[in-house]
Order: sequence, then C-alpha cells, then structure tokens
Amino acid sequence: MKPIHLNLAARPYRDYRPVYAVVVVMSLLTAFLMLNNIETYYRYKHDTRSTTNRIGQIEAQTRQEKQLEEISQRKLKGIDLATLDAQTRFVNAKLAERAFSWSTLLDELESVLAQDVRLVSVAPQFNGDGSINLALDFEAKGPNGMIVTINRMNADPQFANPFPKTEEITPSGGYKFNLVVKYHPPETILRAAK
Amino acid sequence: MIWREKRVLLIILGLLLAANAVYFFTYRVSYQSRLDDREQELTQKEAELARAHAARVKAERTFQAYRQVERDVQRVFDEHWATQEERFTRLVAEVKRLTTASSMVPASVGFSAAVVTDPEANRRKKVAIGATEVGIAFGVEGTYEQVRRLINLLELSQQFVIIDQIGLSSREGQNLALTIHLKTLFREGKPLANQRL
Repeated sequence: MKPIHLNLAARPYRDYRPVYAVVVVMSLLTAFLMLNNIETYYRYKHDTRSTTNRIGQIEAQTRQEKQLEEISQRKLKGIDLATLDAQTRFVNAKLAERAFSWSTLLDELESVLAQDVRLVSVAPQFNGDGSINLALDFEAKGPNGMIVTINRMNADPQFANPFPKTEEITPSGGYKFNLVVKYHPPETILRAAK
Repeated sequence: MIWREKRVLLIILGLLLAANAVYFFTYRVSYQSRLDDREQELTQKEAELARAHAARVKAERTFQAYRQVERDVQRVFDEHWATQEERFTRLVAEVKRLTTASSMVPASVGFSAAVVTDPEANRRKKVAIGATEVGIAFGVEGTYEQVRRLINLLELSQQFVIIDQIGLSSREGQNLALTIHLKTLFREGKPLANQRL
C-alpha cells in the first residue's frame, strides 16, 4: 500500500536560517564599524581642532602680511628712483669733495717734492671708490725733477700710478712738467686697512 | 532561491558594510598618518607665513631706507645748500671775510653759474638734480703761510664751499700768486620760508 504524504503548509517551506545568519553577521559588523567610524570622526575633529584653528589663524596672518607687502610695494613704485639715485650720487660726490682736505694734500705734496721742484697747480677729480685723480703742474730747476718726483710718489702709499703728460724746457732754462696721479687720502687708506 | 528573495536587504547591508569598511580602513587605520599630515600642513603654513612676513619686512625696510635717503638728500638740499636767494650773499661775504682774515684780498672776483644735470644719465633720460652750481674764482698774492691759512679757513668754513682748483706761481721774494676756484651748490626752487606761506 502506497503511503500518503500530505503537505499541510499554507506556503512552501523554505529554510531561511542561513540568510538570517548572514544578515545578523553583516549587521553586527556594520554596526561595529559604524560606531568605530563615528568615534574616529569625533576624535579626529577633537584632536585636530587646535591645529585647524592655528592653520586658520596662520592663513589669516599670511593674507594680512601679503596685503601689507603689496601696500609697501605700491609705495615703493611711487618713489622716483631714477631721480633719487642721481641726487644721492651727486650729493655723495659733493660731500666727498667738501670733506676733501687740501691741507693734508699740500702736506703730502710737500713731503714728496724735491728741493728744486715747485708745485704750480693742483686740480683734483673725485672717483666713486674714494680715490682722487690729481692733475699736477710743476716747475723744476734741473732736468731730473720729473723723475725724482715720480720716484718719490711711487714710494709713497698715498700716491699711485703717477704718469707724466708733458715736460718742456722754459725760456729761463728751467723745466715745466705735469703729472696725473691717483691720490688716496689717509682716511681711505685707514678704511682699506680695516 | 532564498538569497534572491532577500536580495534587497542583503544588497543594502552589503553597501553599508562596504562603505563603513572603506571609511574604517581609510581613516581609522591611517589615523596617525592623517594627524601627521595635518601637523605637516601646519608646518607648511607656518613656513609660508614666515616667508610672507620676511617679504613684508623686506619691502617695508626697503621703503623706509628709500624714505630715509630722500630725507637725507632733502636735508642737504635745504639746510646745507639752500637757495641762491637765501645763501649767495652770505657766501660771498664769508669768502671776503676769510680772504681778509688771511690778508689776501683779491683785486677782482669772477662768478659763474650752471644748472646741474646727472652726468651719468643717458641723453634720453636726463635727470635734473634740482641744483645750481656756482663758481667763484679769484687771484691773490701772499706768502706760502698765508696761502695755507686761506685754504685752511675755507676748509673750516660753515658755508658749503668746495675748493675746486688751485694754481700757484712765484712772485718777487717769498710771495706767491694764488689763483683759486671755489664752487658751491644751491637748491633750485623757492626758499623754504616762502613755501610755507
């Protein structure tokens, strides 16, 4: 006799336990990670709050510094630098000429001139490096006046590169000659020594 | 079959899990490195601020230095040179006083004047200095000591006077003939007292 299998269920029977197990595991994992992530987010915000504030302050300060620099640059552009440069060079040159000591120069020339050589004229020309070119006219009684004067200037540290332009015999039998020489006033020599 | 029936729930859960996992591994695992990055950013910003500060200080100092130079130049123009109207007669009187003091009174005095331009500027951009150079030339006779005394007095004068050139020639006895060329500078424009009015 064939047994009777009666299916009395309203709906077909399915075993959902594996699905529920996966859902539970996934939910637990998600909840765990989410809590962790929320905690991480707040901890990060808290830990970096002072740094973030400091960065904000620094950025504001940097913007302010750049604005102030731009203002200074605009002011700088307003200055007529070409005229100021020319005036400064001119004023410095004239102050150097005013500060130039003729008394010291004459003392120096007295110390290098030979007995039979006499100074006739001096014309200084001022250079930017503090040295001075002198155009000197002399009169000498003998023929060696120019050579002796050049030798003595070469031996003196305050004079450099003495060079003659002309030498001629005067009707009275004397000699006239002129030299160009670089003169270093004592203060420029002291400055160079320091 | 059962998985397919619950696929919506599973997909939502899977997406949530994936998103949290990504966040977790991105932020939680590399948490320290992110903090370090923030500190590094702070250091960079501080360096940027230091650079901006240095640039600002440099620009301000440059500006102040130019202003100081301007003031110094103006002081020389106003106080030492002044205008011809303000100082010329005082200068001539001073030169006469000094020649008298050294007992070397000139028989004649020559004067010259020229507007100063920047000698180093090229022709297209010639810069006016704003000053006039006045020359005073005269010849006197006296002993070498008198010549040195006159030169010394001119050097010590309170007036802005430059000895430009001197020439010497012998005369009878101990006497020398001295030709001397002096120069001075005057600011262009009106005297300061008039400008204030």
